Amino acid sequence: MYTRGPVIVMELPERLNHQEAKSFLEELQPFLEGDRPSIVLDCSQIKHLESAGVEMLLQCLEQAMKRDGDLKLAAVSPASAVILELMRVDRLFEVFATSEQAVRSFQIFASATVPQTQPWYAAPQGLTDLKAAS
Amino acid sequence: MEFHRRRSKIDEHKVFSKATRLGNLDGPLFTGGREGRKSVGLGVVLTISGKNQDWAQGAVGSAELAGSDWLGFLDSPLELIELVGSSVLERLIERFVAIEVQCISVLAEASSLTRMPLFRAAFGNVTVKAVKDLDSAISQELALFSQKGITHAFVNSANAYTETDLLDLFCFHRESRQPITRTFDNEGPLDLWVLDCSKLHRVEFETSLNHVGQNGAPKYFIREYVNRLLSPRDVRRLAADILRRSCETAPCGKQVRPGVWIDQGGEVHRRARIVAPAYIGCGSKIRADALVTRFSDIERDCCVDSGTVIEDSSILANTTVGICLDLCHAVASGNQLWNLERDVAVEIVDTKVMRFSTAPRRHAAHTVSSNEPIEVPQDAVVSQKPTMPDTWQFGNNFSQE
Repeated sequence: MYTRGPVIVMELPERLNHQEAKSFLEELQPFLEGDRPSIVLDCSQIKHLESAGVEMLLQCLEQAMKRDGDLKLAAVSPASAVILELMRVDRLFEVFATSEQAVRSFQIFASATVPQTQPWYAAPQGLTDLKAAS
Repeated sequence: MEFHRRRSKIDEHKVFSKATRLGNLDGPLFTGGREGRKSVGLGVVLTISGKNQDWAQGAVGSAELAGSDWLGFLDSPLELIELVGSSVLERLIERFVAIEVQCISVLAEASSLTRMPLFRAAFGNVTVKAVKDLDSAISQELALFSQKGITHAFVNSANAYTETDLLDLFCFHRESRQPITRTFDNEGPLDLWVLDCSKLHRVEFETSLNHVGQNGAPKYFIREYVNRLLSPRDVRRLAADILRRSCETAPCGKQVRPGVWIDQGGEVHRRARIVAPAYIGCGSKIRADALVTRFSDIERDCCVDSGTVIEDSSILANTTVGICLDLCHAVASGNQLWNLERDVAVEIVDTKVMRFSTAPRRHAAHTVSSNEPIEVPQDAVVSQKPTMPDTWQFGNNFSQE
C-alpha cells in the first residue's frame, strides 16, 4: 500500500476468495472510514477472483460512496474483466490501465472542482454596480 | 424428426438427378458407358485427429485466472462437441448417409479421444474405431473397402465442416480419371478427398497425398459453406450460422415459433424470454426472468438460472450458469469460459457462478483407455434418437409465443 497525496493505492492479493477478501477488507477499513476516501485498487496481481472477492469490492465501493469518496480499479487483467462483466459489476467501477492513471483521475477531478469561482450574487462589485445604476 | 425427413427428401432428389446424370435409375449408384451399366460402390472414411485441439495448448497461457491444474478449455476434439443439437461429426455423417454410401468408417486417433462420439440418429452402416496411427488405418480401411467391392471412397477429416455437393464432387473425380481428387476453398486445401480404393489401398495414405502435390492431381473447388473449426470462435460462428440458416444444416428439435428451437425435454419458464434465433437443447432448463438472445444456443442438460442473460453465446452440454449473470460473446463449458471479445479463457472456481450439471450424461459409456484399435459394437455406440412427443409439452408454458 502507498499514498499519493490524498489518494490511497492498494494492491489486491493474488487470490481473492472469502478468507483473503475478509482480511483485505479489515486492512482497508480505516481508510474507508476517513473523510472523502479516495482509493485505487491495483488488480494486476489477481489470479483467482471469486464471487466473495467481487462482493468485497462492492462493499468497499458502497462505504467509500457513503462518505462522498470513490473507489477505482487499475490494471484489471482481461480474465478479471470477464469475471466482473459476468457478475454485472464492471459498469459500477471506473477502470484504468495503470494505478498512476487512476490516481491522476482523482487529482484532475480535484483541481477542476476545488478552486470554484464565486457565484455572481456573492461578488461585492455586483451590488455596487446595482447601487450605482440606481 | 420432421426436419430430417424433409432434408432426406431433398437429398433423395439430388441423388436421383445425379444418378440420372451417371446413367442410373435404380440401385445405389451406377455409371453408364460403352460397356454397359456398371455398379459403383461408395465408402467413406471420416477421421477425428484432434488436430484442432492445438489451440487449447495455446490457451493455457492466456487462462489467467486458471489454476495450475488447467488442462485446456475442452476435453474433446471440436468436431465431437454438440452444436445446436448434434456434433459436426454427426452432421457430416448425415450428409454422406443422404447420398446413400455403402459404409461409413469413423477412425478416431485414440490419443485425442476421451470418449466415444454420441450420435442422436441410429445409422446402420457406421462403425467407429479408435486407432493409433491414422494414416495406416486409412490405408487399411481403403483395402477393406476394396475387398468389399467398394471402388471409390471419400476420405474426410471431421475437423472442418464442409457443405459441398458430394455427388458433384464424385462426378468430377470420375471425369478426371485420376486416382485421387482433393478439395479446396478460398483459404486453401481442405481435408476432403475422393479416392479410387483399388489403386490407392496398397500405398500409405500420406504417400497418396504427396502424389496429389507432385503430379498436379485434380483439385475440386468448394464454393459452398466451409467452417474449419480451428478455435472456439469457429465453434461459435458455426452455431450462429446454423441458427441464422446461413448453411444447409439445421438446428435439431422443434421450432416452437419462428427462429426458436426447443429440443425434447427442454423447459422454458413462462417468465423467461427467448429472443429468436435461439436453441434450447434436450433436458435444458431456462429459469424465470432469464434472457437468451442473439444467436445463443443452450445445449443438452444445461441450466440457466433466474435473471441471467445469455447473449451471443454457446453454452455447451452439461453446464449450469448461476443466477443474475451476464454471459456475452462466449463459449462456456462446465466451469470454463472462453470470452471471444477479449479472447481469454477463464476457469470459474466458484460453483455458484458456473459448474458442470449433475444431470446424467447421455453419452455412450465408452472411454478409450488403450492405444490398441478398438471396434465398438454398433448397438453400443449408437444411442436412440429422441423422438418428438406428439403434443409439444412447451406450448402451454411458453410465454413468448
